[in-house]
Amino acid sequence: MTRFHITVPTRAPERVELPEFVTDLRPPDRGTGHRLVGRAAELAGLDGALVPFDPGGLESLVVAAGLLRDSRRIEVIAEFHPGIATPVYAAKLSASSQRYAGGRLGWRLVVDLDPAVARAQGDFLTGAARYARAAEFLTVARGVWDGSGFGFDGEYFQVLDGGLPASRAPRPFPRVYLSGTSDEALELSANHADVHVLDPGDDPALVPDGVAAAVRLPVRAGPDEQVAAEIRTHLDRGVTEFFLEPAAPLDDAYRIGQRVLPLLEQEVRHG
Amino acid sequence: MVDIYWRIAMEGDAPALRLGDITRGGFGPFLPGSLGPGLRAGASDGYGPLDYMAEVARSTEQAGFVGGLMPSFPQTDDPWAAAAALAHDTSTYRFMIAFQPGFLHPVQAARMSATLQAATGGRVVYNIISGGGGPQQLWWGDRVDHDDRYARTSEFLDVLKGVWHGPYDHEGRFYRVEGGALPPELRGQPFPEIYFSGSSPAAIAAAGRHADYYLSWLEPFDALSEKFDLVRRHSDTPPKFAVRVDVLARETEEQAWEEIERGWERLGETERTPEASESVGWRRGREFTAGTGDSYRDLEVQPNVWGGFNRLRPGPLFGLVGDYHQVAARLDELITLGVDAFILAGVPHLEEAQRVGRNVLPLLKGKPS
Repeated sequence: MTRFHITVPTRAPERVELPEFVTDLRPPDRGTGHRLVGRAAELAGLDGALVPFDPGGLESLVVAAGLLRDSRRIEVIAEFHPGIATPVYAAKLSASSQRYAGGRLGWRLVVDLDPAVARAQGDFLTGAARYARAAEFLTVARGVWDGSGFGFDGEYFQVLDGGLPASRAPRPFPRVYLSGTSDEALELSANHADVHVLDPGDDPALVPDGVAAAVRLPVRAGPDEQVAAEIRTHLDRGVTEFFLEPAAPLDDAYRIGQRVLPLLEQEVRHG
Repeated sequence: MVDIYWRIAMEGDAPALRLGDITRGGFGPFLPGSLGPGLRAGASDGYGPLDYMAEVARSTEQAGFVGGLMPSFPQTDDPWAAAAALAHDTSTYRFMIAFQPGFLHPVQAARMSATLQAATGGRVVYNIISGGGGPQQLWWGDRVDHDDRYARTSEFLDVLKGVWHGPYDHEGRFYRVEGGALPPELRGQPFPEIYFSGSSPAAIAAAGRHADYYLSWLEPFDALSEKFDLVRRHSDTPPKFAVRVDVLARETEEQAWEEIERGWERLGETERTPEASESVGWRRGREFTAGTGDSYRDLEVQPNVWGGFNRLRPGPLFGLVGDYHQVAARLDELITLGVDAFILAGVPHLEEAQRVGRNVLPLLKGKPS
């Protein structure tokens, strides 16, 4: 099954000033920008919405929890880095989002942050150690997720007798999206990813066995058939998921859902 | 002004205090009458714990409360996830998010909080807890010792505030940041009010530096008053005071005690074993009820102040039991001894919010002038 995710905006558009003589009943903006795009993905039949890690914008786990509440079907993928919280806490917070939304949360981990950005987030780890920490992070999160009495004594994280409470509401582990083409990145994906996200020029053959291949796809202006053709090229190379990076998120979400995907009905058995 | 909050159950809710079984949301298996999720024709109905919590939040905000305390324990859901999801289900409800510094990085806490402030129009309040310790703390993966955790809490709040008003550089014992700041569109969001919990000397020292409100469980009134004095002595600028109070209020006092009695009668089969804890607040509570008799009524340590709530549901010992006028009068006494804010609670949280809002809150008189 081929899946299409749209990137939602994490910065609010500048507020428009109306002329004084025009009656202005606008309520305060509480996130209209990303909420409209999230619901566009839902209504127009896309499969997911990505909330990117944006140090200059809104925080992704909070935005994702709101988008999940706004929707019934789409997966909402929050991108964050492993320095934000202990893996136990990240798991606990995410387990609640899963219970609240029928298991539709995804995790996209960004591991190789720009060093200056990382330091501003309070994270001073550099180089290959970042991948070692990410591996521990995912091991611990999964460990406490699935079992009781989970123990872990690693270089970055420790747990004793851990394990989240059982839940009668469905609570699957978040689908894990990773990326990068270095040896460390590919090894991390081989061990922990459900999906490996490539840049447009990367070779899908790099993606480890058993991991789905995804590609970042900037959505360009131009005929719908041209966008469909670009998607076809990737499909032929074995890509099964698309992270659409729209120039105009709202317009592009509806455009892809209503006009581009119907052109691909032959190739895409779309869920 | 007195701010009155109503707790929201993050562990699921029972249909009555006397019944115990958590069948609304929560984590237990499907039982007859379970909801959030429930069963329809043998299959899950597709609703979840949050759908019930949204009813509690809406009921609470309409009943006259300013918001809800969202507790956080291993056996609960997470308050950040709940607050972010409930932001648009409510309009004035303040989300008092309980969290332990140390589980989140302070920069991340700043980003999440400011994002939530933007989503809610400034309705985030913090309940900072530093952890009861013992096995629970290792469950969370936290190996910092009891007294050190308050040092970490202090540094955490320094960094959080620094980043909030950043750019901010910091090199401390627990945290390091270089150029930490909120993005331009989140700058200027109001910094959340801090309700600070903890009964140990280390907690009280830290509270003196950071608390807007010092939050205590209900205790016998004299003990509570002494505790407030102690906090005042340790503070350059004394904080305000808040108390977390369970309320079982009925039309008549007999009806209220009958609820307790019926809950007490079923303890044989279902009694909870209160967990051991390093929490000083917990040990204080045990001392106040030590040596009392076997009857539930022996736990009434002063009129309407009953120390057996922990036997009927997880959580603190003390709460108020009585008719509407008695409960209102006790709350007035607490206001008189210096309480500026309440976190009230009752089971089930949904209907009891309506009952207390309709029958108890209007009777409050406040401080005698």
